[in-house]
Order: sequence, then C-alpha cells, then structure tokens
Amino acid sequence: MILIIGGRYQGKLEYAKSRFGLSDEDIFTCDEAVDAINFDRRCVAYIDRWVLGRVRAGEDPAAILAASLDRMADAIVICTDISCGVVPADAEMRAWRDACGRVNAMLADRAGEVWRLFCGLPQRIK
Amino acid sequence: MSVFISGGCRNGKSTWALRFAAAGPKPLYYVATMIPRDGEDRARVKRHQMERAGMGFETIERGTDILRAFDAADPNGTFLLDSVTALLANGMFPPGGVDLDAPRKIADELEAFVRRAPNAVLVSDFIYSDAALYDPMTEAYRAGLAMIDRRLAAACDTVLEAVAGQIIVHKGEFPL
Repeated sequence: MILIIGGRYQGKLEYAKSRFGLSDEDIFTCDEAVDAINFDRRCVAYIDRWVLGRVRAGEDPAAILAASLDRMADAIVICTDISCGVVPADAEMRAWRDACGRVNAMLADRAGEVWRLFCGLPQRIK
Repeated sequence: MSVFISGGCRNGKSTWALRFAAAGPKPLYYVATMIPRDGEDRARVKRHQMERAGMGFETIERGTDILRAFDAADPNGTFLLDSVTALLANGMFPPGGVDLDAPRKIADELEAFVRRAPNAVLVSDFIYSDAALYDPMTEAYRAGLAMIDRRLAAACDTVLEAVAGQIIVHKGEFPL
C-alpha cells in the first residue's frame, strides 16, 4: 500500500495521477454517502470522507478497514489530514477527527511508502 | 533568490521571513498587505513594525494591485511580502462585495511579482488541516489560497514550511 496524506487542496490526487499514470477509471472517489469502498480500483481517494460517513452512521471505520487490509495491499490510498485545527466544538467533527487519525496511523503502519504533499510538493515520510 | 514560506499560525513564518529577507540585496522592502480594519489589526501591525524596527526595511503598504508595489521601489532590492493570505482576503472580499475571480488574478500578479523581483520572500498561511466543513464561500477562499500557494511554490526557487519555529525545506536550499 502507498498512503498519500496532506492538507486540503495540496495536490495529493494530482501527485497520485501523475506518478502512477492513473485514469479516472482507476480511482474510487469516496464521499459521505459511500458505505462500501470498491477495493478493485487501484486508488481510493479521500478516504477521510468515507470515514465521516461511517462516523455519522455510528460505525467504527478503523475496525471496518482493519478487516479489509489484505485487500488494500496494492492500493494507493489518499487521505486528507484534518488533524491540525482546534478541537472542534461539534461532537461529530471530533469523532471524525479521532477516527481519521486512527485510520491514518493504521494505514501508514501497513504502507510501504507514506507521502505528504505540501503546496504541491511531495515529501516521503516513510 | 525567491522564497515561499508557509505553515500554521504562530509557527515562526514571519520571523524567519524577516531573517531571510534581511540577508538579501539592499534596499530592503517590507510589503505590508493587510488593510487594518479594527483595533486588533492595528495592534498586530504595531507588533510587526516593532519586530522589524532597526532591520533596515522600508515599508510599502499595498493591500491590492500588488504590482504597484514597484511604483517607487528598486526591483533589484529584496521584497518581503507578508502575507499572501491577507492579499487574497482583500481581493476576494472587497467592501460590499465578493470577487470569485480574485484568486486567479492574484496568482497571475504574484507570479509576475516574482519574475520582476528576483529576490522576494512571500509568506502564506497553512489553513488546510483542520476538521471542519466550511460554508461554500470560506471553502472557495481556502481553495483559492491553496491554488495561489501551489503556483508560487512552483515559481519560487525555495519552498519552506515553518513548524514550531523550525524550518522544513520542501524545495531548494535553506536560505541562510
């Protein structure tokens, strides 16, 4: 697995597309309404949005992904880093932030490479 | 040498930017982009003025039309522009309106700024890693600033991130 993280709008997906030559058909784009990720695609983009949907549904996204890690062995996963603001006043936003942090750490632990994008520039952090 | 520096609030961006710019060719210009709107803004301006007092910077106040900073300045000097963030806020949210085309215009102008002034240090703010869902206008501002940041990061020789007063070099060499 290759994990690509970074703040919003920092060029994570563009980096994945250019480095791995991904076409739109290779990319599974998550949003809050997606309940099951299609792991047949090479790239899972914005897994943080899937995490938000699972949090809203009262589920544990880290536990769900832990059961799917074997299917993610060759995946390119993109996750927006939402960990750096003030503790959100809203309980749902707090739960989202916590779940994203756990998911990120678990995926990074499994990943062979972890990249962080800053203003469009990639930095390898694992 | 052109330097783009970003990072979170109170992580040392402006202080480092002053040190980098002060080491550049004279004359030194501080391009102040924030248009003070209240007492809090004015207090902040005072703090910044005190911080750079005695360093030899001439202040140019330019909250819009940034290329006019060269009206009475030597383009071969060193320019410290603080900040891209305020410049975009002024352009996108002028009194009584909203200009959604401001990010593109300001990105074009800042690229031209860096071409015109080979020795420039530009400061922006990293506002992209909090857990919040914003209203569409705030989101447009964040997307616009990030687009400008990325174009400046591509255009500048050196790209730096300030974290807890330390500098991470993302492109080029540490400037001192």
